[in-house]
Amino acid sequence: PKKYQFRTMRTKILETADILDEQIDSFTKIIQQHYQIPSSDFNNPSIISQSEIITVGRIIPDNPQVESIQLNSSSLALETSRTLGIGKRIPLDLSNLTDYSLFPGQIVALRGKNASGDFFKINEILEIPYLGSPVSTNDELTTYYENLENDLKILCINGPYTSSKDLDFTYLENFVTKVNNEIQPHVVIMFGPFIDISHPLVSSGNLDIESPTGKKIQTLDDIFKFLVSPILKKINNKIQIILIPSLKDSISKHAAYPQDSYDKKQLQLSSTKNIKNFPNPSIFQINEILIGVSNNDIFKDLKDINKGSPAGENRFDRISNHIIQQRRFYPSFPGSKSQRKITSSNDDEDEFEFLPSSELDVPYLGLSEFNDVLPDILIIPSELRFFARVVKNTLVINPGVFMRPNSSGTLAQITIEKPKIDELTKINEDGEDLYLHDIWKRARVDIIKS
Amino acid sequence: GINGILQPLESTISDAERFKLSKHLYLNCKCGSHFKFGGIVSSNDYQMTFNGIQCKKCMNQLNTLNVTSQLEQRIRSFISKYYQGIVICDDSTCGMITKQISVYGKRCLSNGCKGVMRYQYSDKELYNQLLYFDSLFDVEKNKNQSLRPLYESEDVTKPQELIKGQIDALSEQNRDNFNVCKSIVQKYLSDCGRRYVDLGSMFDFMQK
Repeated sequence: PKKYQFRTMRTKILETADILDEQIDSFTKIIQQHYQIPSSDFNNPSIISQSEIITVGRIIPDNPQVESIQLNSSSLALETSRTLGIGKRIPLDLSNLTDYSLFPGQIVALRGKNASGDFFKINEILEIPYLGSPVSTNDELTTYYENLENDLKILCINGPYTSSKDLDFTYLENFVTKVNNEIQPHVVIMFGPFIDISHPLVSSGNLDIESPTGKKIQTLDDIFKFLVSPILKKINNKIQIILIPSLKDSISKHAAYPQDSYDKKQLQLSSTKNIKNFPNPSIFQINEILIGVSNNDIFKDLKDINKGSPAGENRFDRISNHIIQQRRFYPSFPGSKSQRKITSSNDDEDEFEFLPSSELDVPYLGLSEFNDVLPDILIIPSELRFFARVVKNTLVINPGVFMRPNSSGTLAQITIEKPKIDELTKINEDGEDLYLHDIWKRARVDIIKS
Repeated sequence: GINGILQPLESTISDAERFKLSKHLYLNCKCGSHFKFGGIVSSNDYQMTFNGIQCKKCMNQLNTLNVTSQLEQRIRSFISKYYQGIVICDDSTCGMITKQISVYGKRCLSNGCKGVMRYQYSDKELYNQLLYFDSLFDVEKNKNQSLRPLYESEDVTKPQELIKGQIDALSEQNRDNFNVCKSIVQKYLSDCGRRYVDLGSMFDFMQK
């Protein structure tokens, strides 16, 4: 899609600020409409007031300079929008709250009071309303039902596809045989990285790879072209393949999130009709099922400060809930950081080298928002342990990694029953019968060894 | 110029001047040697042969994939650095450095400071860094020896310079290899927003 083809490496601070401001304002509208609060009740939390007010803003650390220091319940502040509070920031007092989970970048609606001028004391966090689920008509669902012979089977596989000791794709090759002969899915969603730019061999100076056909391998892109593409082409062409890039991928020149799709021509995959390249993140439909995918490790990066019932929840549930509530795939701000020490060089130059982390191109983060509906399935790969959970009736999946540093890993197999009209939840909208997909009731996720 | 001061056109500055602040391209050899690569110039750590870069420590030849992969990793490291999005206050008495950005963008987050925030690692610096790497594998620039020097002129360890005929021959012999390396830099330059003049914003004032 064209919107993702923006040029990278040219972020303007004013455009960044515009987006950060708009995020607050758009949630102010959502809150206002949902709770039917007159706009006059929304106030600037940074000025003293005698009575309780409602305000909307972004959670931030109260000291802008701390980055490495762990935040806690007494180090949070709220940033207002230009309209609501001329961008003022005010420390938060959470002592009246029994349950909360807050993280930097989160947009929140609060009820409370600033009695002294020094801090805003929260009395209540107003829940952000959830987006509606997608629906389909009887006709659509009947067609999908009739077109399917068996239950729908989708595989999700996440890179890396080699161990950290080599760039040997034999595991993937063997797996493709299994896909074709045993698993026989309808769709395979493959996440990068295919060739990880931070792979130890890439920097060691000890990279010597030959292509099976004797083609000369001179670049990392060649490795994909001559070693990976032929394997992907072996997948039965009746199976749809969807490729989602990674910020760690050497084959993507667009090293920023949101990230443009892989270039089919560059990968030498132009001739394959069953391979589709989608951007990172993207939302697409397989039959009636709306699937949202994002390849930016929010499960690792989102660090919340919590207390009470959220603290007792599973962390993946909590973060999934934040993603769903914030209506975007990567709600943390600022993004994460990853660096490593480089081989000691005896001069004054940089000691650290940055590794791909979240690479947020903030002015374009609008592309990482859900539209007006919540996907039925969210697939967000993470370095953390695989999981599949149902959160707010959304199926949230982390397939794990196909290859761990020293051993094989995991992938996710989703099996979804054909849509049987009489078993789905019927809703009536403007006189028309529509059906919720109820994927969470119809799906089964198996985490299988790669 | 940024502050209304006239500055010479970037294209008229020598590479030595323009890339003075760019970081070097380091290469690792499988023997563990770690050195600065500065093009077809004399170095204590490597020498150019008709078949590419040779490590002086172990006399091993770095193959093209070795050079391109390390070059690409180094480029990506700078892009990741850029996307850290660290901003800094221009008021020297303030010194605010943060990843926080106000909804007003340029406004400093320390109380009462009137300074202007800007990205610490600017897109210009990143663009120059890419152009520097590009210059290292530019056959014409190598032939003309118009590259940024690897050693300071007063550096006593500075090795004796190569002779012109040798440089010409090495440049021609390495043309194909160098073009492959250059294509790596070009891959990222082709996506770099700074390379393209934003006519929309340049002529913004006319639409108002």
